[in-house]
Amino acid sequence: MDNGEEILAQLSPGKSWEKRSDGWWLETRDMDVEKMAHLMTEAKARLVTITAYEVSNGEFRIIYHWDLEGRMLNIIAMTCKKSIPSIAMIHPASDWIEREIHDYFAVQFTGRELPPLLLNPEDSPGIFLDHPRTEHEKGKGKEK
Amino acid sequence: MSFTIPIGPYHPSLEEPFKLEVKCQGEIVQDATMHIKFNFRGVEWLAQRRNYSQAVALVERMCGICSNLHTLTFCRAVEQLAGLSVPTRAQYIRVIIAELERLTSHALWAGVAAEIIGFQTVFMTCLGLRERLMDILEIISGNRIHKGMNCIGGVNREISSPETVLDIVRWIRQQMEEKLIPIFATDRTIRVRCIGIGVLTKETAMDWGVVGPTARASGVSADIRRSAPYAAYDQLEFKVPVETSGDVFSRVVVRLLEMVESCRMIEQAFKQMPPGPIRGPKFVEVPSGETVVRSEAPRGEVFYYVASDGSDVPMRVKIRTPSLVNMPAVRLMVLGANLADVPLINASIDPCYSCTCK
Repeated sequence: MDNGEEILAQLSPGKSWEKRSDGWWLETRDMDVEKMAHLMTEAKARLVTITAYEVSNGEFRIIYHWDLEGRMLNIIAMTCKKSIPSIAMIHPASDWIEREIHDYFAVQFTGRELPPLLLNPEDSPGIFLDHPRTEHEKGKGKEK
Repeated sequence: MSFTIPIGPYHPSLEEPFKLEVKCQGEIVQDATMHIKFNFRGVEWLAQRRNYSQAVALVERMCGICSNLHTLTFCRAVEQLAGLSVPTRAQYIRVIIAELERLTSHALWAGVAAEIIGFQTVFMTCLGLRERLMDILEIISGNRIHKGMNCIGGVNREISSPETVLDIVRWIRQQMEEKLIPIFATDRTIRVRCIGIGVLTKETAMDWGVVGPTARASGVSADIRRSAPYAAYDQLEFKVPVETSGDVFSRVVVRLLEMVESCRMIEQAFKQMPPGPIRGPKFVEVPSGETVVRSEAPRGEVFYYVASDGSDVPMRVKIRTPSLVNMPAVRLMVLGANLADVPLINASIDPCYSCTCK
């Protein structure tokens, strides 16, 4: 994890990775995602994907999943007013991934031009938000 | 003179919903724009409204070719969240089915590539070979496409008639080594159509996060079965074929060599598979938490993120298929190419529109 520790030291001094069975995880409130993208690009990490996950206050956890020499690094940032800086200009692999998240959840990736939706260009972004889970659709304890 | 040609959404080479607009100067491609998601189905949205067992059946419908890989990856994610261990015999069965699926996928792809090149005899040979593989899957699971093999905690059924399966796998390996690989490697038409066409450099492949055989044909030696082994892959000996030219021909070579390796893995798995149970408890409780899981599908790495709130319905299911990261690279491959080569270059990444329109 030498390479990963070096990245972490630059990205979030004083923090340490949480090691889980599925990889290394890092969550900080004030993540500089552009700096993270630069560091990962320099380390020749591959962007596996980005996950957006709505939290209770209408904001989103944005999880950047990187593959660094076969190891999975999961770095969690938060949107602010449903916006987060784009990393598409730094790491082109994020282009379609950011566009897909924009289509599903209307998260704004700032600093880039968002072409028409990957989905139907006539749709509005945020198609998943238009249809939230009903009480009936939510889970009800143990599976039977 | 510059003009724009719309190819698709009913595509001349692959009859699936996808549109490529190529801007040409004469017959040379100067730029391309891609349009996808003509058949968007909202699988992630639906999976967040089904209980875990129902979601297994749902994600199997992600794709008509690598359907098993989707259930395998989703089940692994749930098993990881629930802290379930899968019986060793089930792990080997998972490998056998996954490699049979890789063989069917690559055989279909080789056939389609041959057809685009205009080599109908090889097309028929590949499809004939694939038919035997589909027969095996039908013998094992009762189905050719949606095999329903994986369940949370193991697999649903034993492999019936293992000797029949092994006989066909050995025959396929022989056909690959004695017939198909020599044809693809030496035929003049195939070489002319494929060598130096649609080049993707190693640097570009890494920048764009390309995965699977497409990446390995550009010199990126990445394979989840090797770098983060799952099921019984860490118990098997296999090579990861890597080529460095990054052209269509390299993608052909990588896939053909992978087919031979898949046959070897299946033979080993049958030999090493211990007796024992094939699944754990029928119902599982999934505690709150989140996890990520990756598997190596025929087209490359499949990624699942699953988050649970402790109920029987997942809070969040995120799926990233290999085609979604490989398809943007087609634009880079066709720049400067001859218009007539565009269908073959596009097909050379083995794009899956079903996985892309998830």
